[in-house]
Amino acid sequence: MILILAITIGCLFAGGFYLLLRRSLVKLILGLILLSHGVNLLIFTMGDGVRRGAPPIVDKNGVAPFNVADPVVQALILTAIVISFGLTAFILTLAYRANQVTGSDDLDTMQGEG
Amino acid sequence: MLPAIVLITLALAPLGLLARTGPRPLVGWALALLPALSFALLLFQLPQVTGTTQIREVIPWVPAMGVELNFALDGLSLLFALVITGIGTLIIGYAGHYMHDDPGLGRFLLYLLLFMGAMLGLVLAGNVLTMFIFWELTSVTSYLLIGYKHDYPGARRGALQSLVITAGGGLALLLGLLILGEGARQAGVAPNQIYNFDAIIAAGDAIKAGPLYTPALLLILVGAFTKSAQFPFHFWLPGAMQAPTPASAFLHSATMVKAGVYLLARLAPGLGDTPLWNAALVLVGGFTFAFGALVATRKDDIKALLAYTTLSMLGGLIMLIGLGGKYAAEAVVVNILAHALYKSALFMIAGIIDHEAGSRDLRQLGGLRRMMPATAFFIALALLSQMGIPVFFGFVGKELLIEAALSSPLADPLRYAALTAIVVAAVGYIIAAWRLFKYAFLGTPSPTLAQRHHVADPRGMLVPPAIPALLSIIIPLALLPWASQLLAPAASVIYGKEIGFKLALWHGVNSALMISSAAILVGAVLARFERPLAAMPPHLPAWADGATLLDRLLAGVDRVGALITRSLQTGQLRRYMLYNTITLLLITGVPFVLYVLPGLTFFSPDPQLRVYEAFAAALIPIAVVATIRAESRLSAIIAVGVVGAMVSLFFVLFSAPDLALTQLLIEVLSTVFLLLVFSILPARFATLSSNTTRMRDAILAGMVGLLVAGLVLATATTTSFEPLAPYYLENSLAKGKGQNVVNVILVDFRGFDTMGEVTVLLTALLGIYGLLRMRREKR
Repeated sequence: MILILAITIGCLFAGGFYLLLRRSLVKLILGLILLSHGVNLLIFTMGDGVRRGAPPIVDKNGVAPFNVADPVVQALILTAIVISFGLTAFILTLAYRANQVTGSDDLDTMQGEG
Repeated sequence: MLPAIVLITLALAPLGLLARTGPRPLVGWALALLPALSFALLLFQLPQVTGTTQIREVIPWVPAMGVELNFALDGLSLLFALVITGIGTLIIGYAGHYMHDDPGLGRFLLYLLLFMGAMLGLVLAGNVLTMFIFWELTSVTSYLLIGYKHDYPGARRGALQSLVITAGGGLALLLGLLILGEGARQAGVAPNQIYNFDAIIAAGDAIKAGPLYTPALLLILVGAFTKSAQFPFHFWLPGAMQAPTPASAFLHSATMVKAGVYLLARLAPGLGDTPLWNAALVLVGGFTFAFGALVATRKDDIKALLAYTTLSMLGGLIMLIGLGGKYAAEAVVVNILAHALYKSALFMIAGIIDHEAGSRDLRQLGGLRRMMPATAFFIALALLSQMGIPVFFGFVGKELLIEAALSSPLADPLRYAALTAIVVAAVGYIIAAWRLFKYAFLGTPSPTLAQRHHVADPRGMLVPPAIPALLSIIIPLALLPWASQLLAPAASVIYGKEIGFKLALWHGVNSALMISSAAILVGAVLARFERPLAAMPPHLPAWADGATLLDRLLAGVDRVGALITRSLQTGQLRRYMLYNTITLLLITGVPFVLYVLPGLTFFSPDPQLRVYEAFAAALIPIAVVATIRAESRLSAIIAVGVVGAMVSLFFVLFSAPDLALTQLLIEVLSTVFLLLVFSILPARFATLSSNTTRMRDAILAGMVGLLVAGLVLATATTTSFEPLAPYYLENSLAKGKGQNVVNVILVDFRGFDTMGEVTVLLTALLGIYGLLRMRREKR
């Protein structure tokens, strides 16, 4: 199962880096989205093992299920997901503004008015 | 008491700023009480410092690493500390006269006192690291003093060059001292003692036998040679003559430049007397000794002339330390004291000439003997001592110098090289001193000088140089027993064993006297032909001057820096991304392939693997490729959405329901955002990069992907620390009153993190709002 995750994360990183190396602003944004997915999954693998069918929810007596998943990385990723959304939203707005001002998506032709 | 002397001088340095107001010469003398007090305190220690004993005071700092503020007083440090505070007293008094109309006098005295504290710390340090801190502080204060007249480009250049050379040498020295400490550790010294001078010297033989001796010594020599202006680093010292004369007289003749000599003298009993040590010190020191004296005979600027004789004498001292032996140790200490006395007097009088006659260029002076008879008298005393004329203190020093070379235990070639250097230098000193006196004081005044009014002996300003000038003749005539009491312990420290010696003026007719008399005779004859001698080749071409070469080197560094900046900093984001990617691959990828990859298990059977898991895993790479290859905005949004959906599915499958929920919500929101923004962009993406660029990027990105996948495999299968999870699982209900542990962590255990997260979102929102507002105002 860790092999599946490793391949998936590798693909997300490769795709993210490739898109970050592009000249188009839109592709850069898509690359950031892919990369943030990759990083979230990477954090996911860094905990106390990846488990099936045992979410970190304790019963009424405060006893965790057998072989429970790691709640710490999940809490970290939850924060990361929300923050990467904030970042994506901001960059999208920035791209929107840049397109209005320069009329272009090509990072090389974006010299602005100054 | 030792730390107090150092730290109080440093702490009271701001008192120098008092000299901004009031009758300046008086304030100068009042401030001179500070070093005078230290001088007196140190003088009282004289009876307790005998043989090689040390008075030691330690303030622990990082005891585990052998780092401490460690002060020690023995004969050698006492001699230096007395020179520093004694000459320092005179210099501060002198500065009050010399710079009485300079509005910056307060700042100057502040620097000077700071320097004095640093220099005292340097010579009183009992630990190489303590010494190094003060060593660097002297470099910095020297920079401030040389650059004092910072309105002049020459002063800035001289200051910068001295800083580059001495601080660069300081770096080499630090490295050398650390290696030396490591060598001491290997030689069996206790770890908390490895940086102490006495422990290093006691373990000297074992260190010399170890493999670290040679690198440590070479680096320390670079530090000492740069600080003491040895060839080929000598050129910063003449450049440092841009400093106001009081600073030149103090730092660049009597004290700071002797720091390198001091360090080598201190290390000599432990690290000395190896072929490398002897050859390096005798050859470099001896060459500088002769070279400096010869160049000095051709200089017309009095301060430049004195600077070259100074670096020459420093070379002589270093050569003596290299020669080794009892007489060499005696010669070092006698010459240090003799040189400090006559050279500080000479520099101060050079300042008086400059001050009164308006120039210090020998070609524009002349006939000062009639206008300034007292000045002429005192400079004559100092010059005679420098020339080594009998009954002056310099003569005692020169006799010992020759004796040291004659009786040195070294092989003949080195001994003869040393002897040649001594004779050349002795002759050079005579010619240089004669030229100085002849062109400044004899003959008739130059036309410019004749038109100047009120060229006369100054009153107060002449007192400070008069004292060391008079001592140059009084010590050998009347105070030799007292001087022996001061100098014998110092020589013992350099020699490593106690030397009981009595200085004497007359040793009978021996070979040293014959050589010295011959040198005086030759010098006197050659001095008559100084004009043709000065015109004689070789004259170094201008480009071969060390200062010019350093300027070029620095300019070259600037150019290369600009070139690298221009080629790397293109202003294109993807270029920076490219460099980062390549760097990541090099510094993480290469070690990974070399060390981690061979031990990696790629495949472990997983009986629980479900079909839908494999399905989700297979969809992600497909969706990633689809995102990359998308030609229209809509297909890109769909492909990226598929990736997000599959990631949420992963979270569902692998026990993270909260994450799955959040990811789905965010995915929906992101898609809406993307649709909104992409709607104004062109419907189809243009292909902007060439095929080769795309191929290169694909290869690099693929390598990053492989690397990260490998790192995931490598790290997920190892546990190097206690997991945090059990704590949260156990305490979630008890302390956080919640069953969903992830939620409890977010809102309770790590509540402040969540607050930070909310702040980020709010900031992003404000940014977005601002960007959209700008649009409206524009219309």
